Amino acid sequence: MKKIFIPLTAIILLITGCAKQLDILPTQSVDESLVFDTDANIKAALNGAYDLASSGDLIGGNTQMYSELLGAGGEITWVGTFNQPDEIYNKSILTNNSFVRNTYLSGYRLINVCNNIIASIDKVNASDRDAVKGQALFLRGMAYFEMVKLFAKPYSAGNTSTNLGLQIVTTPTINGQVTAANNVPRSSVQQTYDQIIADLTAAKTIIGGDAGEYGSEYAVSAVLSRVYLQTGNYAGARDEANNVIENSGLSLESDYSNAFNNTSASSEDIYVLPVTAQDGSNEMHTYWSILDYGARDGDVEVNQEHIDLYDAADARLALFYIDDNDIYRSGKWKFQYKNLPVIRLAEMYLNRAESNFRLNSSVGASADDDIDMIRSRVGLPFINVTLLDILNERRLELAHEGQRIHDIKRLRLAVDGFDYDANELVFPIPLREINASAGVLVQNDGY
Amino acid sequence: MRKSIFLSLVLLLTVNVCLLAQKTITGKITDAKTGKPIGNASIMVSGTTSGTASLADGTFSIVVPQDAASIDVSVLGYKSKSASTNASTINFMLDESNTKIMDEVIVVGYGTKIKKDLTGNIAKVKGADVQNMPVTNLNQALQGRAAGVFVESNNGKVGEGVKVLIRGSGSISASNSPLYVVDGIPISTNSYSGNPIADINFNDVESFDILKDASAAAIYGSRAANGVVLITTKKGRSGKTTFQVNSQFGINNPTHYRGFLDAKEYVALLREAAINSDNLDGVDPLDPNQYPDSWLEFAEGRLDRYSGWSDWRTNQTNTNWEKLAFNKNAATSSLDVSATGGTDKTKFYLSLSSINQTGILIGNRLKRVSSRINLEQTVSDKFKVGFNLSLTQTKTGRVAVDNEFSTPMQIVALSPVTPQKDLDGNNYNAPTTTYSNPYVDYVDGKYNSTTYRNIGNIFGQYTFNSNWFFRSELGVDLQNQNDDQFYGANTTYGNGSNGYGESDWYRGLTYNSNNYFNFKKKIKEVHDLDAVVGMSFQQYNSDFASVYGEQFPTQQLQKLASAGLIKGGSSNESASAFLSYFARANYKFNNKYLLSVSTRIDGSSVFGIDRRYGFFPSVSAGWVLSEEKFLHNVKAISFLKLRASWGLTGNADGFGNFASRGLWDGSAYNGSGGLVPSQLANPDLRWEKSNQTDIGIDFGIFNNKISGEIDYYSRKTNDLIYNIPVPGNTGYSSKTVNVGSMENSGFEFVLNTENISKKNFKWSTSFNFAANKNKITKLDGEQTLLAGNDGRYLNSLIVGQSIGVFYGPKYAGVDPTNGDALYYKQDGTKTNDYNEAGNYIVGNPNPKCIAGISNTVSYKGFDLSVLFQGVFGNQIMNGAGGFMSASFDWFDNQTKDQLNRWRNPGDITNVPQLRLGGGNGISASSRYIEDGDYVRLKNITLAYNIPASTLKRLKLTSAKIYVTGVNLLTFTNYTGWDPEVNTDYRASNRNQGGDFYAAPQIKNYSFGLNLGF
Repeated sequence: MKKIFIPLTAIILLITGCAKQLDILPTQSVDESLVFDTDANIKAALNGAYDLASSGDLIGGNTQMYSELLGAGGEITWVGTFNQPDEIYNKSILTNNSFVRNTYLSGYRLINVCNNIIASIDKVNASDRDAVKGQALFLRGMAYFEMVKLFAKPYSAGNTSTNLGLQIVTTPTINGQVTAANNVPRSSVQQTYDQIIADLTAAKTIIGGDAGEYGSEYAVSAVLSRVYLQTGNYAGARDEANNVIENSGLSLESDYSNAFNNTSASSEDIYVLPVTAQDGSNEMHTYWSILDYGARDGDVEVNQEHIDLYDAADARLALFYIDDNDIYRSGKWKFQYKNLPVIRLAEMYLNRAESNFRLNSSVGASADDDIDMIRSRVGLPFINVTLLDILNERRLELAHEGQRIHDIKRLRLAVDGFDYDANELVFPIPLREINASAGVLVQNDGY
Repeated sequence: MRKSIFLSLVLLLTVNVCLLAQKTITGKITDAKTGKPIGNASIMVSGTTSGTASLADGTFSIVVPQDAASIDVSVLGYKSKSASTNASTINFMLDESNTKIMDEVIVVGYGTKIKKDLTGNIAKVKGADVQNMPVTNLNQALQGRAAGVFVESNNGKVGEGVKVLIRGSGSISASNSPLYVVDGIPISTNSYSGNPIADINFNDVESFDILKDASAAAIYGSRAANGVVLITTKKGRSGKTTFQVNSQFGINNPTHYRGFLDAKEYVALLREAAINSDNLDGVDPLDPNQYPDSWLEFAEGRLDRYSGWSDWRTNQTNTNWEKLAFNKNAATSSLDVSATGGTDKTKFYLSLSSINQTGILIGNRLKRVSSRINLEQTVSDKFKVGFNLSLTQTKTGRVAVDNEFSTPMQIVALSPVTPQKDLDGNNYNAPTTTYSNPYVDYVDGKYNSTTYRNIGNIFGQYTFNSNWFFRSELGVDLQNQNDDQFYGANTTYGNGSNGYGESDWYRGLTYNSNNYFNFKKKIKEVHDLDAVVGMSFQQYNSDFASVYGEQFPTQQLQKLASAGLIKGGSSNESASAFLSYFARANYKFNNKYLLSVSTRIDGSSVFGIDRRYGFFPSVSAGWVLSEEKFLHNVKAISFLKLRASWGLTGNADGFGNFASRGLWDGSAYNGSGGLVPSQLANPDLRWEKSNQTDIGIDFGIFNNKISGEIDYYSRKTNDLIYNIPVPGNTGYSSKTVNVGSMENSGFEFVLNTENISKKNFKWSTSFNFAANKNKITKLDGEQTLLAGNDGRYLNSLIVGQSIGVFYGPKYAGVDPTNGDALYYKQDGTKTNDYNEAGNYIVGNPNPKCIAGISNTVSYKGFDLSVLFQGVFGNQIMNGAGGFMSASFDWFDNQTKDQLNRWRNPGDITNVPQLRLGGGNGISASSRYIEDGDYVRLKNITLAYNIPASTLKRLKLTSAKIYVTGVNLLTFTNYTGWDPEVNTDYRASNRNQGGDFYAAPQIKNYSFGLNLGF
C-alpha cells in the first residue's frame, strides 16, 4: 500500500494546486466594481458614454434619419429593402420594429452610464469634477431629449402634464440588481422636459470647454435652444442661440459644402461626431449614399419635389448629385468615413432669427441680418424676411439633417396626410419594454 | 498546475520497479475446430491488468509473477479459457463462441466493459464500418448507424456545420452538442470558423462509443448532458509489421437540382406579373398611351437591362444559373497508409493520410493531411507508458453563408435572360445581373482557411498488484487556424473600396490531465468488483487576432501588406477551466446481478463564484435473466438482460466564459479609449442540469443469431440558461439566468440479425430506430410563448411544444375569384390581409423518428454493404420562398411551381396571381412549409477481395478493390434541393429546419483499392 500512497500524494498536490485555477478573469472586460473606483476609469466611462451617444441607433445617424423619414412629405422616398425604416417612412410602425427598439435600448444604455458617472462623481479629481459631471448631464439631457421627441406626443400638442413622456431614471444600475423598482412608470411630457432642462441648465454652468467632438457650454446652449424651440420658449431659444453665436468663437464656413464631408471639425460645428475608417458610425451615409461611395444601395432617394424648392442660384442645390440611375442624392452624406455634424452654427442663426422675429426683438442681430448670413453664403440676395421666409430658409439650410419632423411638429404642420400630433408620427414604446415591465409601462395611443 | 502534473509524472516514473520473482510462459493459440492460429488474442495474468496479445501466427510469450496461479486467454468470437501457470509452455485450443456480440469490448469513461455487463446505454460503431467512407466529417460517417443519434449536415458545403443530437435537443441557449473525447482526452469543439471535428481522420479510429444515457455519461459530469462520443484510435499490436494502403478516387455532384424558370417562361411570367399589377392600378399597359410609367414599362426596362448584349424578345439567351453554382463531377481523392506492429514490449500504430475533396459548390474544397503515431511501451510487467499523437493540416476553401449575396447558391436568383459573359468575355455583374453575381465573387474572391491541429496525449500506467493500477494521462489539443480572405474590386464586398482583405488568426489550446486508480477484484468466484477513483483538470485557452483593410492597388496583391487603408484590427483571448473528481464502482454477482454507481464533482470557472461546484451522481442496475435457472430450459433465449439507470448530468458550454460577471468593455471615441457596460452580473449562474432515466432490455435469441436492445428514456433538463429580458431603462436588455426547463422522452430499438451464415455466403442486418419527443416545459417563468415570426421563418419557443416549432399564419390557398393569397384568421375564417391572419402551430422541425438499416452480404470474395438512413415526421420551412416562389413579387427567377399560378376567375390553385411588387402571399406562412421526411441510400459499398492464392503470388496479405457511393438515392417529397438541411447562417438550437439557398448534400461515387502486406 505504500506505493499507492505516492500517487495519492500526487493527486492531493494536484487538487490543492488546481482549485485556484478556476479563478479566471476576463482580459477584454473589467468588473463593474473597478470602473467607478478611480478618476481615470470614470473618465474612460465618460468617453464610453460619448461612444454610446455616437452609435448608429442614436445621433450617429438613425435619430436624424427617423426624423426625415417621418417628415418625408414626398420630398424623399425610402426604397431600401429594410422593412424597419420602411415602416417608419410609411408611418405604420410595428411595436416590434427593431430599429425603434434599439434606439430605446441605446438611449437608456447611455443614460445608465451617465447615471453611474454622476453617482460616483466624488471619485473624480476635484479639479475635473465639474467638467465630468457637466458632460454626463449634457449627454443625459440630450438622450432624454432625442427620445422624448420620438416616443411621446409633441410638446406643441398641449396637455403636457397628462400626455405620457419617458421613464425617468436618474440612479445607476449596479451589481446586476434588477428588481420590481425597475418597472418605472412613464412621467408626463412636462416632467420629461423639466428633467431635460434641469440637466442641461445644470450642465451649462459647469461643463466649460470648446465646441467640437465633446460637449461644451456651447453644445449645451445649442441643445437647450432646440429644447426651448420645441416648448415654444422663444426667449430661451433666442438667448441660448445668441450665447453660441456671440461667445463660441465659431463662424460659418465660407462655402456651404465645406460644412459637410469633413475629417475634422469645421468652423461651424458646435457638436460633431468624428468618423474615421476605424471608428465611428455615420448611418446617414449608410442609407443615403450609394454603393460607389461604400454605402448601401441608395436606400433613401431625394425627389424632384425637394429639388424644386431651391432657387436655381442656390449653392445648396449644387451639393446634390445624380447617380447612374438619374436619382438625386444628398451630397451632405456622400462620402464614407466623414464626420457627422450634429449641430451646426447655421442652425443657431435660424433659431435666433425665428425667435427674434416672433418676439419682435433683435437680440444679437435682426432676423433679416441673421437670415442674410445664411442666404448670402449660398449666393442668395438679401430679403426682408417674413416668418414663412425664415421657416423656409430653415427647411432648406437644415434639409436632411434630422430636424424636419420636429419642426413639423412644433409648427403644427401636417405631413403625408398626418396631422402634427397624429399617433402615427409617434413611435410605439417597444414591445419588449411593455413585456418586460410587468404591466407598468403604458403604450402610446394608436398601438 | 503544470508544475503539479510534472511532479506526478516524475513520481510515476521514479516509483520503484518491483523486483519480485518472475517466470516466462510461452505457447500458441489455435481454433479448436480448424486448427488455424488466432492472432491478437489477449493473454492476461488472472485477476490482474497485466498481459499481452498473441502474434498473427498465434504464438505468445508472457512474463508472470511467481505467485500467479493462472492465465486467462480471451478473444472476440471465442470462448475464454484459463490455465494454471504450472507449465512453461501452454497451448490453447479455443472453441467458437456464439456470444460474439455480447462479448464486445465497450469503451466507457476511464475504462472498458464487456457489453453483456453494461448497465447503461452505449452505442458502439466500429471504425471498420465507416472506414474509407468518402466524407470529411466523422459525424457524417456515423449518420444512420447508431440509434438515437441524429446527424444533420446544415448543407452540402464541405468542412462546415454538422449538427449532432443525442436523444433530442437538450438546451435552449447553451450547447446542444455532445462532448467528444479522443483517447480519454476531451477535445475542443470550438474554432474560429468551419467545423473542428473535420480535423479528425476517422480512418485512424478503432471505435466510436456513444454514451447516451445518464448513467453512462455521468462520469463526465458537467459536460455530459448532451451525451459523450468516445473516440478510440487504433493501437499497435505485437507481431510482424503489417501495412495497409488505401487509395480512393471519386466524383462529387449535388443530390438534386431544383430547377427554375427558363428564359421564355421568365419573360412570359414577368410580363404577366407586370400587366396584372397595372390592371390592379386600373392601367392597361398594352394601350400605348398608358404604357409610360406602367409596371410593364418598368419590367421591360429591367429585361432590357438584364439581357446585356442579347435580345430577350427573341430568347437569344437562356442561362441556367443554377448549374453555374456547382462544380460538375468535382474530383475527390484520398490516400491512406498505415503500419501496425511491435514486439511484446513495444507496440505502434503509424498512419499518414491525405484527403482532397472538391466540393460541389464553386470555390468550396477541403484538403486534409494527417498523421498519427500511437506508441505503447511496456517498461516492466508493472509499468507501461505510451503516447498518441496526431497532427493534421486542414485547408478549406470556404464560401459565404447562405444569406450572403456572394454565396454561390444565390446565383439562382439571377435572370435566365442574362448572358453569363459580356461580349469581351467578362462575367456580367450588377447592374446587368439582377443582384451582384456570385460567380464574380468566386472568380475574384477567395476565402481560405488553414488549420493545424495537434491532438495528443501521453500516459503512464502503473500496476501495483493484481487488484490495483494507477493511470495518469496528460492530453493536449492545439488548434492553429488562419482565415485569409480577399475580395477584388468587382465583388460584393470589395465594391466601392477597391478590394477588401482580411486576415484572422485563432489559437485554441486545451490541456487536460486525468489521474485515476482502478481497482478490480473477484471474490469467491461470484463477486466481481471494479472501481475507479480519480480527478481531472482541464483548461481551455483561446487567442484571436484579426486585421482587415481596403484599397488594394491591383487584383494580384491580396495580402494586407498591400492594403492602402487598414480599416481595423483586434485581438482578444479567453479561457475557462474545469476541475473534477470522480468515482465509479461496478459490482457483479454471479454474472447475474449488475450494479453500477458513479459520481462526479465538477468545478467550473464559468459560473458564479459560489455556484462553481456541481455534483453529478448516477446509479444503474442490470439483471441477466438468461443466467437464471428458470430460463436455462428456454433454448430460444440465449441472452436476456434488464437494465435500469438514473443519473444527473450537466451542461456548462455555449454561453461564454464569463456570463456570471457584471462587465464593462473597452470602446473608442474620437481616437481615445472608453469603457461601456456589456452585461449584467448574475453571481447565481449555475449548471444546466439534466435528469435522465433509462429502462432497457438487451436480448439475444436463437444462439444470438437475433440480438438487440430496446430502451425507453426520459430526460428532464432544468435550470436551462436563458437570457431573460429586463426593462431597457436599466441600461441593459437581458440578464443570463437559470430558469427554463425541457423534456425529452423516447424509445430506441436496435436489432441485429445474422440471416445467413454459411461458409461462402453470409448475410447480416443491423437495424436501428429511435423516436424522440421534445417538449419545453418552462421558459422564463412568465412568458409561455416567444413567437419567432421574423417575416421569413417561424421558429418559436412555446411551453408545451417542441423547441423551434413553426408558429404563425396558416396559408389558406388562393381566392378563386381574384387570385389573392388567403390566410386563416384566428377564428378560422379566411382573409387576404396577412396582418389579420391568426397564429397557428404549422410545423415542427424536430424529427419524430430516425432510423437506419444496414445489410452486409458476403459471397465468396465479394462483400456488399448497404446503409439506408431515414428521418421522419419533421417539417422544413423555405425562408427564401418569399423570393424564389413569390409570384414574381420582384425580379428573382422563380421556381417552376409558379407556372401553376392563378390566371382566371375560377382557377383552383395554390399559387396566387402573379403581381410585380404586389407582395401577394410572400410573407412567412405555412405556404412555405413542407414535410421533410426522407429515406436515403446513405452508403453502398461493393468490394472484391482478391483470393489468398493470388495474394501469395503478389506477396500481399490482403487486397480489396471496391466501389462505394454516398447519398446515391434520396426518397422524399420535399421539393427543395435536399431535405437534409438547416441553413447555416441562422442554425441554432431554436432555429432548425430552415432552408435558404442551402446547397444540396453531396452525392459521391468512388472507386478504391485497399492493400495489406
